[in-house]
Amino acid sequence: MGENAILIVDDVDINREILKEIFEEQFSILEAEDGEKAIRMIQDHLDNLALVLLDLQMPKVNGLEVLKFMNEIHVVDKIPVIMITGESTVSSDVKAYELGAADIIYKPFAQPVVIRRAINIMELFEHRNEIEQELRKRTKQLRESQAKLEKNNEFLINALSSVVEFRSLESGEHIQRVKYFTGLLLKYLMQFYPEYHLTIEQCKMISDAAALHDLGKIAIPDSILLKPARLTEEEFEIMKTHSVLGCELLENFRQEDNEFYQYCYDICRYHHEKYDGNGYPDHLVGEQIPIWAQVVSIVDVFDALVSKRVYKTPYAVEEAEAMILNGECGKFSDKIIDCFEMAKAELFAATEEGFSFIESEQEL
Amino acid sequence: MELKQVYEMMQGDYDSVMGRLMTQERVVKYLNMFVKNNMLELITNALDEKDYEVAFREAHNLKGVCANLNMDKLGHSAGELTESLRHGEPTIDITPLLEEVREDYQLTVDAISLIEQ
Repeated sequence: MGENAILIVDDVDINREILKEIFEEQFSILEAEDGEKAIRMIQDHLDNLALVLLDLQMPKVNGLEVLKFMNEIHVVDKIPVIMITGESTVSSDVKAYELGAADIIYKPFAQPVVIRRAINIMELFEHRNEIEQELRKRTKQLRESQAKLEKNNEFLINALSSVVEFRSLESGEHIQRVKYFTGLLLKYLMQFYPEYHLTIEQCKMISDAAALHDLGKIAIPDSILLKPARLTEEEFEIMKTHSVLGCELLENFRQEDNEFYQYCYDICRYHHEKYDGNGYPDHLVGEQIPIWAQVVSIVDVFDALVSKRVYKTPYAVEEAEAMILNGECGKFSDKIIDCFEMAKAELFAATEEGFSFIESEQEL
Repeated sequence: MELKQVYEMMQGDYDSVMGRLMTQERVVKYLNMFVKNNMLELITNALDEKDYEVAFREAHNLKGVCANLNMDKLGHSAGELTESLRHGEPTIDITPLLEEVREDYQLTVDAISLIEQ
């Protein structure tokens, strides 16, 4: 252990000498005859000070001011300070304890008692410092394993959603874009619409869940899913069942009280609902539609508009925006439209620049 | 003169100082330091300059050292002088208090000088 120095601060040499003789066998002794010098020595010996024995009354800078300084540089928790005082006044004692003094010893003191108390306090601090260090280490380990778990999770979600992509021969990036755009919109929703009480953690989960919005398409027959032309009305009705089919798949792995499951379920089921009730499958109206499904819904529409499909060329971003605003693509809430408008610049930039950036860290 | 007798002469508490500081050798060393420090002069100098803050601190220091070395008689008079100076310029005439400190200080120093070095 590196902490083996004791700093003795007293303006009277006899007092320093008495203390020095108590400790010099076991410790290296540093001395300061006033507070100013004490502060300098504390700064110079931060790493090897095991204890400070501090007189209260001193010229220039007094003992309490030295304690204040130790508070300012946050070492009063690391290096124990024992005040050595000639008189006990309640107010100065209270002040010293408030400023973090570990103990107060009154003159005249008995050598054996000073030794015992000093050693007790040093052991206490050493023990506490060790525990804190251990706690920091454990916290770091925990954070690391949590990060690892999250990474695994993300990998599984990506794997699962790429199955859907693969099957539907759709542009491989649609799902990643929906996920990214969802995160963008949520950022504004969280900031400007606190009534939804969304936290950063929830937004992260919702963005992940957004990747699975079209999960049910796995169960749509090839003849419809892969049809290189516009669907007939009848085919479209079958296509529409993907929202419920996705939920049926999920229900096989139903998890009670699992927030992430709930987001996945709601997003699969409701991402084609419209605010005025003209969506599907349940014709929910207004805020009956979970807010996370509302977000994924507008994002999905936008991305479909600006993407190339076998039966259409992509719309320009401004055109897509106009179609969303004038209600051509169904009704969205004013709040969702507002968030879309705020996220517009980023959405457009991301759409036009291509999506290689998506691999990099998301903002949420 | 034996240390015990020196303490009797200065009206100090020999048993207490030995109980706390453990060896005669140490006590003698501190007493010699005390003589060399001339703390009384520090007090009177400050009083001459009417620097009552320093005078208080030095009187306080004398009281503290007396407590550490169990020089009780001097410690008592130094304590009274300290109190009279605690709040800056004293409101009473401190001449008698200072005189008492002076006498006790001399007695103590004289006693210490009789230690067989």
